[in-house]
Amino acid sequence: MDTKTDTSTFARDAVALDVSDIQATVLRPRPSPYRGEYVVLRIDDAVQGREMLRRIIPHVATANDWWEPTLPGWLGIAFTYQGLRALGVPQASLDSFPPEFREGMAARAFAINDLGGNAPSNWEYPFGTTDMHVALAIYARDDQSLELVLDRARQSHNDLPEVPVIYRMKFSELPGGRNPFGFKDGLHNPHVEGSGAPAHPGFGPSIKAGEFILGYPDELGETATSPQPDVLRRNGTFLAFRKFHTRVAAFREYLIEHASSAEEQELIAAKMVGRWRSGAPLVLSPEQDDATLGADAERNDIFSYANDMQGLKCPFSAHIRRVNPRDALSNDVAAVNLHHFLRRGTNYGPALPEGVVEDDGEERGGVFLFVGAHLRRQFEFVQSQWMTDGNFIGHAEEQDPIVGNAEGDGIFTIPKRPVRRRLHGLPQFVAVRGGEYCFMPGLRALRWLAGMDVENGEPNPLNRS
Amino acid sequence: MNHTTTAPVARPGTKAGQSNEFTLICGIKPGGAERMRKLLAGGFDGERQKNTDRIGTVHDLRFVIFDNDTRVIFASTFDGSWESYIDDFATIIPDEIDLLFHECTGYPGIHSPGIKDWIVSQQVTAVGFYSAYPDASVREVWKALRTQKAFDDLLDSAAS
Repeated sequence: MDTKTDTSTFARDAVALDVSDIQATVLRPRPSPYRGEYVVLRIDDAVQGREMLRRIIPHVATANDWWEPTLPGWLGIAFTYQGLRALGVPQASLDSFPPEFREGMAARAFAINDLGGNAPSNWEYPFGTTDMHVALAIYARDDQSLELVLDRARQSHNDLPEVPVIYRMKFSELPGGRNPFGFKDGLHNPHVEGSGAPAHPGFGPSIKAGEFILGYPDELGETATSPQPDVLRRNGTFLAFRKFHTRVAAFREYLIEHASSAEEQELIAAKMVGRWRSGAPLVLSPEQDDATLGADAERNDIFSYANDMQGLKCPFSAHIRRVNPRDALSNDVAAVNLHHFLRRGTNYGPALPEGVVEDDGEERGGVFLFVGAHLRRQFEFVQSQWMTDGNFIGHAEEQDPIVGNAEGDGIFTIPKRPVRRRLHGLPQFVAVRGGEYCFMPGLRALRWLAGMDVENGEPNPLNRS
Repeated sequence: MNHTTTAPVARPGTKAGQSNEFTLICGIKPGGAERMRKLLAGGFDGERQKNTDRIGTVHDLRFVIFDNDTRVIFASTFDGSWESYIDDFATIIPDEIDLLFHECTGYPGIHSPGIKDWIVSQQVTAVGFYSAYPDASVREVWKALRTQKAFDDLLDSAAS
């Protein structure tokens, strides 16, 4: 999405959520351009872990000031199940988390089709191990601001030997807000009811806050009761972090091999994505790219599939149609509103220069950051049913052409009159380097986790150092 | 490096290719067997057929009442995972799901948070499961039949 926050349309009165208690990362689009760093800490001692937390809490950005982009950058903090355990969270509370969070992403590989090359045995350290405890995400608008926020974060743990940094990963925006394949992305996010954010023009109604933040009713009318206690749960959410390596040269080479002109290469690429490089959706501009449309945040996300139920403009298997089918499944038993989530992805590594079709060995790719209240029916459902399966669109043997993992045997159908075109032998363009499920608590919950007294709370069981 | 050792929760049911067998054996509420017979007497025609077709993943399903009207077997073959879709069923076709299980003892209702655990508790894994076309989904079979019909029509009109 165009991340320049439109302050003119911000409706303060429309805020129904406790935004001063919700972390900024949950509700706030990252700055553009952005740079930042993910830092992973391990907690070898609960007392030092809680001390680190007490020091870092004042620097954790909340969502309440998102319409005042005065901060140099902001810090988000999240915990794995192992991290909560290492902090000394009582067993009853740990047991109250949903099973998929307790098991961790690596143990869920069978449920989300992380097989073959994407299997956890091939992941980078510390992903998929019990060492990954606390994840910090620092976003800033420039290097200087990033160093400032990183320094604040460092001061929370640099004299605590039992809270070592075990992983660091820098990220930054590529020129023009493109992803490594050269496509403008991040153009759609659901609108969270009651967030007060300007409703980004796009398809579909606002989605109930409980789909994204614990403590509010969700689309089923239910309010989460897990995890316990209430002070830990309220205004928290779950994250699914996934680091991808993108094989840009293989993507370009595949297009060259399967097209007879530069125009046809662009068309096949757009058919795989569902948008042209500029971000213009195929449904609105089926024949060629429309840079003006792609750049227009007021128009580039307003479309429906009602007039493309044959997939002649945007193929059923196109990435954006799979991940967010909008009204494309209105004849099926699919409740699309139960499978929305917020995305706060980033890119890392240098762009592969234009025209290069030989892999240069550079690590480049993206981080997919899912934010949602229901890991199973949001992240795991979309990953297993819509991205790595094709039965729901009548192409059972197909996966997402961009992020699927068919181990070099990918198939992609492009509906066409009089005869459809089917591409075979799609290489794996995206490889999973690692991932984990995290819990991103609200500010009050962070204080509880730090062993601090929380207003209206019961005696804190962690306050025993 | 310490790899996570938590074992994923195993679910009942046997798989052949991408097809799964799904067998529940449930007790029936008093008088329930008679009500079920009446309800299902019309078969799966008309609206009921249309709504079941909409699911698009169910190859077949059957109800067998036994043990002097005290128990029922609900047996089915379907594509993929019922668990992934249970929330969608509950939202889009709650009445059809309630209809299937309404007379079962202990059925908590499709909107109950305990619905999955109840289904699993009634599920019995088959000791043998054969499918003649384990890799063909319902949607693929439908499509193949449409294609064959179109092809036959083409041959017929070419021959006439």
